Amino acid sequence: MTDPDAVTESLEDFARSLSYGERSDLSFKFLVRFAGTDVGDAVAAMLVEIGGLFDDGDPAALIDLAIRLQSEGYKSRSLDERYHYEEGPFSRPPRPLAESRVVLLTSSGHFATGDDPQPLGSQAMSQAEAEKRIGDFLKEPPTLSEVSTLSPADAIEVRHGGYDIRGSVADHNVSFPIDRLRELEADGIIGSLHQTAYSFVGACSQTRLIKHTAPEWADRLMSTGSDIVLLVPV
Amino acid sequence: MATVAVYIEAFSHYAEAMRLPRTLVTPHPMGRPLGPPLAAERQRQVIEAALRLIYTAEASGAVERIGGAYRPGSPTS
Repeated sequence: MTDPDAVTESLEDFARSLSYGERSDLSFKFLVRFAGTDVGDAVAAMLVEIGGLFDDGDPAALIDLAIRLQSEGYKSRSLDERYHYEEGPFSRPPRPLAESRVVLLTSSGHFATGDDPQPLGSQAMSQAEAEKRIGDFLKEPPTLSEVSTLSPADAIEVRHGGYDIRGSVADHNVSFPIDRLRELEADGIIGSLHQTAYSFVGACSQTRLIKHTAPEWADRLMSTGSDIVLLVPV
Repeated sequence: MATVAVYIEAFSHYAEAMRLPRTLVTPHPMGRPLGPPLAAERQRQVIEAALRLIYTAEASGAVERIGGAYRPGSPTS
């Protein structure tokens, strides 16, 4: 007999709970973009792969499936027409790579320990709070953090309410690759790495970013004397 | 300044629509565009591919996809 007090939850409700809801999971928030039956199919497919792990312990198929589903989810919506361009800028590098200075800019939300950008006026904001306040972040102009490219891992922090930062916490190089760039410099692959890397929280007011902040940052990057900018949007 | 962006496949359509100068697309999950944690060789492979695109691209809107799979737990991944 059905319990009259039981709470029912549709597949759409379940998907919404993953997107900043009670089951918030930033790696799977994309499921909110699927129709209900597609949510069910996606979860069922992942369960099949999880079942396979009982026998071979190889997560490759599950990883590949999850990545494919992520891609399907985010590609289900096109970019706002305002951001579609027929042509884009294009500058050729002035010298060979082995003679070029490279500067890094990411939207991964990294900052130097002791130099917290204090978003929304908050000191030492936690990742959990950043996720809860994602709506506030999206209304605010971003802050550009500067991080010495010589910084060791324990002198770098990350906080970003828009994506699952566990990979970035385990190794900043997954989204803020200063160690890899230093190695390329040491190996002579690149001429030099600019001593400062730059990062901001990409979940911000896009209008302010485009109209005001980005042009200012472009001038800052130009003033570094770098030849190449490596951009890592997250 | 010449620029190149590293995008995961899930967001590559954004880069294409915006006609970025150069985009290297990786088959990685959200939040790990350069590769898995501690997979130094894979991360370096991605960066080198992106930097090569600086020199091989002929016009804005250049997009290349790097092969390989996302395999955490291995330096080469």
